[in-house]
Amino acid sequence: MRLLIVTSVDPWTRSVSTIHKWIDAGRALGHDIAVYGESDPDLPGLKFTTDLANVDLALFVVQVPSDFPDMPYLARVLDGIPKEKRAIVDLWGRYNDTIRVEHDFNHLEKLDGHQGWEWQEAIAAVSETILQPGLAPKRNDVKPFLFHGFDEGSIAKRYASAGEAAAAWKKKPYGLMYAGSNWQRWHQVRAFLEGYAQVREQAGIACLIGWDWNARPDWAVQKAIMGVDTDADFLAAQKVEVRHGVRFDEIVGLLGQAKFAPVIHRPLFRELGFVTNRTFETFYADTIPVLMLPEDFVAEIYGAAARKLVPSQGVASFVSDALRKPEPYWDAVLKTRTHLAAKHSYATRLEELKKAAGK
Amino acid sequence: MNILFVMKHRGNAGNTHAVANYIRVAPEYGHKVAMYGDPHPHLPELKFSRDVKSFDRAAYLFESEIYRLSRLEEVAMLDAIEKRHRMIFDMDGMYNPVTKVDGYDFNHATESESARWKEYYETLSDIVMKPMLARSDDPRVRPMIFYGYDPALEMKPEAAPAKKYDVMHLGHNWWRWRDVGGKLLPALEPVRDRIGEIALIGLWWDAPPPEGKDAGPEAAFQSDPALLKRLCIRTEPSVMYTDVVRTMSTAKINIFTQRPVLHHFKHITLKYFEIFYADTIPLLMLDPAIAEQVYGPSARELMLAENIGEKILDALARPGHYRDVVMTVRKHLAANNSYEKRMAELVSAIPD
Repeated sequence: MRLLIVTSVDPWTRSVSTIHKWIDAGRALGHDIAVYGESDPDLPGLKFTTDLANVDLALFVVQVPSDFPDMPYLARVLDGIPKEKRAIVDLWGRYNDTIRVEHDFNHLEKLDGHQGWEWQEAIAAVSETILQPGLAPKRNDVKPFLFHGFDEGSIAKRYASAGEAAAAWKKKPYGLMYAGSNWQRWHQVRAFLEGYAQVREQAGIACLIGWDWNARPDWAVQKAIMGVDTDADFLAAQKVEVRHGVRFDEIVGLLGQAKFAPVIHRPLFRELGFVTNRTFETFYADTIPVLMLPEDFVAEIYGAAARKLVPSQGVASFVSDALRKPEPYWDAVLKTRTHLAAKHSYATRLEELKKAAGK
Repeated sequence: MNILFVMKHRGNAGNTHAVANYIRVAPEYGHKVAMYGDPHPHLPELKFSRDVKSFDRAAYLFESEIYRLSRLEEVAMLDAIEKRHRMIFDMDGMYNPVTKVDGYDFNHATESESARWKEYYETLSDIVMKPMLARSDDPRVRPMIFYGYDPALEMKPEAAPAKKYDVMHLGHNWWRWRDVGGKLLPALEPVRDRIGEIALIGLWWDAPPPEGKDAGPEAAFQSDPALLKRLCIRTEPSVMYTDVVRTMSTAKINIFTQRPVLHHFKHITLKYFEIFYADTIPLLMLDPAIAEQVYGPSARELMLAENIGEKILDALARPGHYRDVVMTVRKHLAANNSYEKRMAELVSAIPD
């Protein structure tokens, strides 16, 4: 199969890690999968092409306006590949009525200059096969397709048993690490840190990696965009180490320096039941993921064993219990990895995509 | 046929005026024409639309920059109207090799810029319309005078405003200084005391745009305010396209210059027609052959090539004679350049 992925890629943000996995999967499975565009020296692991001949499917991966190619590439791909050979995966829920959850949203004209109808027209213009990364899209004309997946080969450190993992896990420079930019996550991160404060002395210091955790950015202040909040005094009081964002290929290694790594979905994605790259990627890292997600969602995506990784009795209770008895938690991690490898591999995703696009 | 123009619209620009005419004429022939965008209350004659699905043809009109929609809008446009139903009007000759006229005006500063435009055009459409008379050897290029002539818009003397000026030049100072500062004003200087008020109407005669280099090459806005002051030349702000004819009618004579690179490319601009709506005597600093093709042989009498000062004095001294010439030209224009004819040419230019 010749699959063309049409999107923008940036080593620092959005779905670049997942795109790498798709390219790798193509190589491993004997498919020709490439990103549409000119090659990028900052991303040597990606295969790029502008050759539109014999493309079986062009998958547009859309989060922000610049995920649609610039001209003249845009006209070439739309004119060169017929609509029935195109599909679009709407990773941020743009193809919905306007939704507001807390301060989060799927459309905001003052942020990107576009009203909801513009997103919907553009997405519908690309293809009649509209996909969203959730199990139950709100609209009837949208099909579920998670897009992000789990690549078993990317697990940073393999263990033969939970006991072995638990033994290796006890010495980490950090107690907690969260990697992700400060975008619509502050309230959840703060709540997590408040709970973590009770066990920090035993677990180790916390670290936030990503943009705008130190201060509310000027652009958010100027445009009065809420949900990009932070509290430097609070972070200092909690002795939280704050680092700027890092390249996508440093994330897994960094998370492995901490005992715990929370998985937090922004409010919009919780509402829509969407997955993200980090939903799966956190399980590559040599850490115990803490799933700050609804339990039924966890069971559906991660499997039953992952319920153990949901801090249903609170973060402090979860952490202190895991510190005392890590083995059951690592057992849950290893079982979840097995589940993810079985149910969410990129080979599975490719078959799901073919089915969704009628290929 | 439902044609959507995608272009930068400005109330004080000629191309906007021309499209307003297409919008007006189209329904009489069962067509619909609109401009892409949201309605502008200050431009009530212009019909705007962003409902791209209600159009089956797209006419992109580019001047000296590639007019872009947002990425999302472009997606919807390109899907709604397929390539064979798109056309590009190349108004400023950008779909040409790098051309620099006498080391002055140019279409592209570099070969790479020219290549970028060519690539953009050829990706977007297979049809490039040029506002000229001569056919091109390039099968992609088609000549079509974009502008038309509507006798109903002629300013009748009895309706014309009082004459405030003897001589006027209406147009922005965009690559005009070589003609105005290099030919017209030096010719006027010896006879200045025999001519009444002279005015330059438009942007950038007093100073270049405040945007600096972002606005374009410095040479394009060259002027000499001291010379203008010495010759008592008045400068006035630009006027809305709806006020162009009335404003030109406040002068006994209007001078018509054309941007050098467009003169070189033999492009026919809106001003070719618009100036003959006004109650004035147009004097033409144009290519004589092109002028004759557009206006007919009588236009030779209106050419301003040599002895510019004497010619202007002659026109001021013998207005009756020149008015007769203007009437003859108007008849020629009306017979050959109606917007109805243009509308038919536009429709036939885009294949089914």
